Amino acid sequence: MPDGRRIAIAGIAGHWGTELARRLARDPAVEQIFGLDTRAPEADLERTEMIEVDIRSPVLSRLLPSTGVDTVVHCGILWYPEPGKPARALHDINLIGTLQLLAACEKTETVERVVVRGSSAIYGCEPAGPSFFSEEMARSFPLRTRFQRDIGELEAYFENFARRHPALSCCMLRYQPEIGPDLPTPLSRYLALPVVPTQLGFDPHLQMLHEADANEALRVATMRPVRGAVNVAPSGSISLTRALRIAGRTELPIPHPMFGLALSRLGRRLGIGDLYGDAVRLLRYGRGVDNRRLREELGFEPRYDSVAAVRDFAKRGAGRRLTPVPDLVSALTRLVEVPR
Amino acid sequence: MSGPTTEGRSRSATAAAGIEFLHGIRQGVEAGLDPLAAAEGAASALPRSLRQSLTRMAARLQGEYHEDDWGFDEEFAEAAYPFFEFLYDRWWRVRAVGAANVPAHGRAMLVANHAGALFPFDAAMITGAIMKEHPLPRWPRFMVLDWAFSLPFLAPFMRKVGGVPASPYNASRVLEGDDLMMVFPEGAKGTGKLFGERYQLQRFGRGGFVEIALRTRSPIVPIAVVGSEEIYPMIADAAVVARAIGAPFVPITPTFPLLGPLGLIPLPSRWRIEFCEPIDISAYPPEAAEDRRVVFELSERVRETIQGKLHENLVARGPAFG
Repeated sequence: MPDGRRIAIAGIAGHWGTELARRLARDPAVEQIFGLDTRAPEADLERTEMIEVDIRSPVLSRLLPSTGVDTVVHCGILWYPEPGKPARALHDINLIGTLQLLAACEKTETVERVVVRGSSAIYGCEPAGPSFFSEEMARSFPLRTRFQRDIGELEAYFENFARRHPALSCCMLRYQPEIGPDLPTPLSRYLALPVVPTQLGFDPHLQMLHEADANEALRVATMRPVRGAVNVAPSGSISLTRALRIAGRTELPIPHPMFGLALSRLGRRLGIGDLYGDAVRLLRYGRGVDNRRLREELGFEPRYDSVAAVRDFAKRGAGRRLTPVPDLVSALTRLVEVPR
Repeated sequence: MSGPTTEGRSRSATAAAGIEFLHGIRQGVEAGLDPLAAAEGAASALPRSLRQSLTRMAARLQGEYHEDDWGFDEEFAEAAYPFFEFLYDRWWRVRAVGAANVPAHGRAMLVANHAGALFPFDAAMITGAIMKEHPLPRWPRFMVLDWAFSLPFLAPFMRKVGGVPASPYNASRVLEGDDLMMVFPEGAKGTGKLFGERYQLQRFGRGGFVEIALRTRSPIVPIAVVGSEEIYPMIADAAVVARAIGAPFVPITPTFPLLGPLGLIPLPSRWRIEFCEPIDISAYPPEAAEDRRVVFELSERVRETIQGKLHENLVARGPAFG
């Protein structure tokens, strides 16, 4: 069957790689899926052939050509440590891994499309910045954190690669942070805390991407990528205070110079470590990106906007409330509504 | 009917309702109910307006309120409005002329002179003039020096009342949403000038505001504000302190920092705000934004209009105090 798509997913053991493979397996237009990672994914994936390989190793350049894939999706860029991928290794995995993967794509003559699941961290979190960054505004501010510099370097490699191979369509997806009640991401865990530390006197505007939209956008981009960078984000934005109120959480404002320390203490307990330094700036200044290119050129309309994503998060995680605030609110509501 | 008696009557009515409410709670508790249930039963005695504001408060605590893309929160702005109304009517006795020159529908760029070193009171008073004097009032957005958005408390407050970080992308986006965008092309050079230079318009940047207006096809409404220069008469700039904290300037006024926080109270000068005839830019194509000559010409025209109106209004106002 020469017509079906042959797709390689790097970083398939991660949450997003596994989900993508699951969605692609249901698509009749896909002939075969190859999963590249150092360990097997937890879920059983049908129509997926696992290739155990570390994307940092040059062996990749020998293995990939033999698969005859036409699309390579890189889901292996990590924002934070995962099991088997400690904080110390992130820089190597993100940079060397991407370089090796691109080198392997160069060796594989059948490859037509390369999609990278990147991050909108490249824009930074800037009080003076545009409230909605569009794709061409990357690097308009200095890259401040380690992760930002990694993403910046990685995008530079990828742009260079795309320039040298004009026949390939190369797509860089810049994801805003995703949320979902069962999602193992630091921001989801942060929002799920019963008492949420915030920075006193700051109320950042955020765009939190619903996990269903995050998955579907990646599937759409895999099947029909566009060239260049695309922001993946919900429409509109929401302030952290409002998001926490919708989710029924209690805020614990901490003076902002101490917030980083408090978050890293908490971070160790949540399994996100100190590394998530981007979070301190994100939760102080916020970040919005423009999703026009996603909707109009990639043709993907997010089902949830910024507010709806938080509402859905609150609804599905509703059983886990511990705070006294909703009780106060319901008492207040009863107080004024009963006697009408 | 004279004012004070009506006021007195409504006050005594509120007090009576409050007493009845407390009385109801006491009766309920004596009848064996817990305090919360008793309060619920007694709440029927409360006036409707109070019940409504309690309902709104409960809804807000659950996150049920609207914010736009820039964080403007109309309910919050309305709650803060009485304070600004007091400043408008009593403190600065603002007289606004020509508010109807602001288009009632669609996008428009409002361009004003900038003064008042510590807080953009001029933006607040222009907003007040539109809300009070315009036949179809609506909330404008205003550009705020980006530095303010890195400061705790000030940043969320500015957002909630309609402030937008000063970035050309933000201005274009507000205008594309058919809103009013208020800009101060003098920027920090305007607010940070010394008292001796009052009402002398500074350079209008590089004319970026004209480029945005041309590109988004928005009419430009020049606005002259008189009175804002006297609220914090700046006699010196503590440049060393400013550099240390990253501020564009740190004003020294006769009262600040001498009197500490008291020095932050603006002086009660008399204000006049004049909205000029809109400058129609529809004769120019959007590509004119690339043409430096057109941009500088329009920028200079706006600047001269405002400078001329400043002189006229200074004469019309008379002495600043009294």
